[in-house]
Amino acid sequence: MDNLSKKYGDTVAVNGVSFGLSKGEVFAFLGPNGAGKTTTVEILECLRAPSGGQAIVLDYDVGKRSDQSEIRKRIGVLPQDFNAIDRLTVRENIDYFGAMYDHQLDADQLIELVDLKDKRDDQFKTLSGGLKQRVGLAVALVNDPALVFLDEPTTGLDPRARRDVWYVIERLKKQGKTVFLTTHYMDEAEYLADTVSIIDHGQIIASGTPNELIDAHGGKKTLVIREAGEDGLKFLPSGISKPQLKNEGDIYIPLNNGELTNILIAIGQTPLANREIEVRRPTLDDVFLNMTGRRVSEEGEVA
Amino acid sequence: MSRVYTIVKGHVKAWLRSKSTIFWTLAFPILLIVLFGAIFGTGNTRFDLYVQNQDLTANAPTPASQGYVAALNYTGAFNIQTVPAEMSNPVSYVRDDAQLHNRGQRLVVIPIGFQNNLTSSKPASIQLYIDQSDQASSSLSGVITAVTASYAASLSSSTVSLSVQQVPIVTHNTRYIDFFIPGVIGMTLLTSGVFGAVNTNGRYRELKIIKKLATTPLSKIEWILGMVGYQMFLAALSIAVILLFGRFVFGVTATIDIYAIGLVVAAALLFPGIGMVLANFVKDADGAEAAANAITFPMMFLAGTFWPTETMPTVLKVIANYLPLTYINNGLRDAMIYLEPAQALTNTIIALGLAGFFIMLGSVLMSWKEE
Repeated sequence: MDNLSKKYGDTVAVNGVSFGLSKGEVFAFLGPNGAGKTTTVEILECLRAPSGGQAIVLDYDVGKRSDQSEIRKRIGVLPQDFNAIDRLTVRENIDYFGAMYDHQLDADQLIELVDLKDKRDDQFKTLSGGLKQRVGLAVALVNDPALVFLDEPTTGLDPRARRDVWYVIERLKKQGKTVFLTTHYMDEAEYLADTVSIIDHGQIIASGTPNELIDAHGGKKTLVIREAGEDGLKFLPSGISKPQLKNEGDIYIPLNNGELTNILIAIGQTPLANREIEVRRPTLDDVFLNMTGRRVSEEGEVA
Repeated sequence: MSRVYTIVKGHVKAWLRSKSTIFWTLAFPILLIVLFGAIFGTGNTRFDLYVQNQDLTANAPTPASQGYVAALNYTGAFNIQTVPAEMSNPVSYVRDDAQLHNRGQRLVVIPIGFQNNLTSSKPASIQLYIDQSDQASSSLSGVITAVTASYAASLSSSTVSLSVQQVPIVTHNTRYIDFFIPGVIGMTLLTSGVFGAVNTNGRYRELKIIKKLATTPLSKIEWILGMVGYQMFLAALSIAVILLFGRFVFGVTATIDIYAIGLVVAAALLFPGIGMVLANFVKDADGAEAAANAITFPMMFLAGTFWPTETMPTVLKVIANYLPLTYINNGLRDAMIYLEPAQALTNTIIALGLAGFFIMLGSVLMSWKEE
């Protein structure tokens, strides 16, 4: 994808976005709501025409009408907020969408992949949110696609259902599928993705593996001493980075190289030694915060 | 074509599992037929008979003509309705009034000079206007002939010659239920077509099903064909149920000819086309459904589903002429009940023209890809 852009009147939704995917990787397109993720992915799915730039999907140009039909045959898509047909069963829905392709995978094989054997003959409307999303995943895979687009596949799910969806995506990865995942969940990108591109206001602000991004933009590791209270500050050694008191009593100390051992020795004989202590590694949340000055909420909004 | 078949099959399966849509498509029309059939009845054992007495003296019926009407009434065989003497076209009056009040279209005219002829021993006659296809025609004319002969005899003048002059009139000697059944078919095609299209194109868009389908090799035209195929299935099924019910419960005999089929095909294109146009203009699914209600309900009442448009005030008659359902209803009646191929053809052509226009407009407006 090279310098891709999409404008709606004077509004620029996607502004000169460029990146590439390697075969067999899970790529996470990470950013808050309204950053341009879905617009970008829908250009790649041939649902929207780009205003500028070029996008090549599986060696076909999304801008060429003749290439679009070839792309559609080869990609699998789970749209954001997708629901299958309410009154058809899991299996019937898979067959329904499978029939849109010249060849389709065996529905039972897909049902097994997404772990829905027990729900095979249940109508879609009777399923929980997590199970519905797994049906969506099966439907996205029904044509044995070379590239799978999953647009916010876990949005709105409870933590357990999210984990179940992650498990299915991990299985896809093991099968060698190339997965294009859009998400606003930083932990999801960190857990699943081989490569991440962070998009904000229609522009990519960082790309790399999760570790590369964290190392480059995540900031320092932090020592956290739980429930130490304001009194706990006086037991800390001097010469360390300025500690912060958070959450009504937790002490956060940014760690420079080699500092951790000194601090632990210094507090070893103090009441702080009896507190819960952890070393917190920076996350993609910190990367986003450090790069934009904002955090992304559970709902995907920036704050 | 296998994709189109899959879409039709998928919709049919989903439809079969929805009790509410089955109710609205099959049970509701049957319920209406039962209710309206019970309220307006299917006729009674008396023959409806319109009488126009033109034989007046000083603006009052002559004694002889009055006596003749009394003789008809005395038999108890007739439900007599009076046509005003000044009505220049009594046949037309009877046609409208009978349809309005769900009566048989039969007319006896007592001509001017009836009494004079009788008293001067000249031959006198009354005119009976009756449609030969009227199942009651033979028994009814028999009763009237007998009444007339007996009335002539009662005048105790051997020179009196009084005869019944039978004049054929083309009427639709139909009961209300005969009139109503094609209307119910039209109404069912309207509601299932408009709401079906609004649902699939509004609700399915909201559920991202259309977006998902647009990422597959399925084309927009295949999707529309699938939807129309589904509507054809529903139309055929509901028509079969309505006609069988009408036949066995109310004895309604309807003819399925090329025009009836043409009208059903037109309706299966026309009403989903209207629904697609609505779904396009009102993107929100609930709003589109409200818009569908706002359009279908007035159309149902104004387009001659429940009563003849001829009986409505002039302004509503004009509106009815602009409603697509009017042509479907009229055409279905002409084809299935009145057996008037020329009028059925006209309505079929208009309906097919409207169908072509709306399905094309709906298809062009329907956004398959995103904006």
